[in-house]
Amino acid sequence: MKVVLIFDQGLAGAGGKSNPNVGLTAVKGGIGSALMLEPHFEKIGAQVAATLYCGNEYFRDNEEEVVKKMTAMVKKVKPDFVLCGPCFNYLDYGKMAAMISTSILESTDIKSCAMMSVENADTIAAYKDKTPILKMPKKGGTGLNDSFADLCEFIQCTVKQSEELENVRTRVCY
Amino acid sequence: MMQKLEKILMPIANVLSRNKILSAIRDGFLVTVPITIVGSIFLLISNFPMQGFLDMMTAIFGAGWDAYLGRVSAIAFDCVALLGVLSIGYCYAREKGLENRIGGAVVALVCFLIITPQKTFVEVEGAAEAASFSGFQFTFLGTAGMFLAMITAILSVEIYAWAIRKKLIIRLPDGVPPMVMESFASLVPSAIAMTVFFAVGIIFDHTSFEYVHYFIYQVLQAPLVGLGKLSGFEVIYQFLSTLFWFFGINGPAVTNTIFSPIHKVLTVENYEAAQAGLEMTNIFTAGFSDFFCNFGGGGSTLGLVIMMAFLGKSNRMKTLGRLSLPAGIFGINEPLIFGLPIVLNPLMAVPFILAPVANTIIGYVATVTGIMPITLGVQLPWTCPIVFSGFLVTGSVMGSVVQIVMLAVDILIYYPFFKLLDKRYLEEESAASGETDELDDLSFDDLELD
Repeated sequence: MKVVLIFDQGLAGAGGKSNPNVGLTAVKGGIGSALMLEPHFEKIGAQVAATLYCGNEYFRDNEEEVVKKMTAMVKKVKPDFVLCGPCFNYLDYGKMAAMISTSILESTDIKSCAMMSVENADTIAAYKDKTPILKMPKKGGTGLNDSFADLCEFIQCTVKQSEELENVRTRVCY
Repeated sequence: MMQKLEKILMPIANVLSRNKILSAIRDGFLVTVPITIVGSIFLLISNFPMQGFLDMMTAIFGAGWDAYLGRVSAIAFDCVALLGVLSIGYCYAREKGLENRIGGAVVALVCFLIITPQKTFVEVEGAAEAASFSGFQFTFLGTAGMFLAMITAILSVEIYAWAIRKKLIIRLPDGVPPMVMESFASLVPSAIAMTVFFAVGIIFDHTSFEYVHYFIYQVLQAPLVGLGKLSGFEVIYQFLSTLFWFFGINGPAVTNTIFSPIHKVLTVENYEAAQAGLEMTNIFTAGFSDFFCNFGGGGSTLGLVIMMAFLGKSNRMKTLGRLSLPAGIFGINEPLIFGLPIVLNPLMAVPFILAPVANTIIGYVATVTGIMPITLGVQLPWTCPIVFSGFLVTGSVMGSVVQIVMLAVDILIYYPFFKLLDKRYLEEESAASGETDELDDLSFDDLELD
């Protein structure tokens, strides 16, 4: 199973607040926080095909372009699933993830979800009916590993179009 | 193994970080930190560890110039319990979901002052009896009253919140301005809390302890602060703080619920000892914890970042190291925590946990052997860079030297793990450039948009 990750610059390991204007970048394979996800992905036979990222300020200044180009790049890579996250409580990143995931679901056949903590309340309220948004703790909160286990269960059910999907979605999404 | 450990740690982290009382105490002390830092700066200027500077100040401002600065530092340190009761009261009112938080804070302050001795006795030479005058003593408002301040803030706001919940309030007709409405709504809850503390004060007047302050100090504060004087105290704190971080849990946010009041008392006790001309005896002050245990953020990652920036062979290591170094010098390592990453990365767990523990042991040994002086009772911003912080917090250049030794040890501890990860990233990068498939030329530049 091929997965594409959509990160911001912090999770991509391209610097945090010191590098907010990094432009759209695509890297083959998993980078940065992908290392946290890989042991979980291995359990469901998922591999990170590519990581796409940009800085949070770059996104703020070019929202439309970022969403359009990220969606186009996902189409080009043709993964089985796109994870827009984990966004923790990073507000810009949360909004970017929700917008990109929505765009992917609306304009392609590729499955996708966003993942963020409850602190992104405005984004969750605006997008939870347009894209699945998975629950996770904020930065430094408890339950990170459990949320990754939930994520894998969700990915598996989504890709396999399992009958359990609705139950899992109700449990792990907002 | 890691899963089992996480299963044990998660409930502890949940209990500690979600406990309303402990969170209010932790956050309440955080509110006082800026005041303590400003007070420390005034204290540092008046006691700057360079005689030439002090002589210059005397030449400019005249003898006794330092006494003026002492007015600020005295409030920051000698009134630490007073500030604490107000800020903890406010934070607990927030935790209890009260709308009128400042009302809760003021009630906490008033209850604390009700049980604080309001008469001071002074021995007068030649007089048969001690003279007395009305007024509070710094003795009861400073470090000796800190645990009582915490207890008073929690209990008084608890009573206040209970009364509001039970609707024991005076309701004014609609149309009355909200501030007046709020003020009257607080009347009965405040009266109940104040009466309870009035009674507590009278009860203790008739015991051998005489004041609640003495009772709490002897029964609770002295034994708990005594734990902070044990040699293993700081090691346990540092170990637990980084262990939680490894699982993605903000370690200090959990451990500080227990450890920060003790650190605070140990720090202010050193200040008070120095002011009284006595020897400072507490090693594990906030200054020690902030500047001799971690450099570059939790896990003491500054040494790692320096290696990444200058010795890293993989592009990922080099880029992240160079981008993280400026923030790392000021004690921030967030880009590293999630970008390297360190969270949930078993390879980095060992040095991440070991480096702060090694620093703590080196700092402890350096202090007890007299290689560097004991840390002063000052609190500097935790972003103060290495070398400067060591000098300022000990008043000696040896503080800086010990920090440099610690940084070198951290580099040695991280080195093998850094090499392993760098090698892995390098292999991934060269494999990516060696293999050819449709993903090799991923670029947004030549992307075709529909």
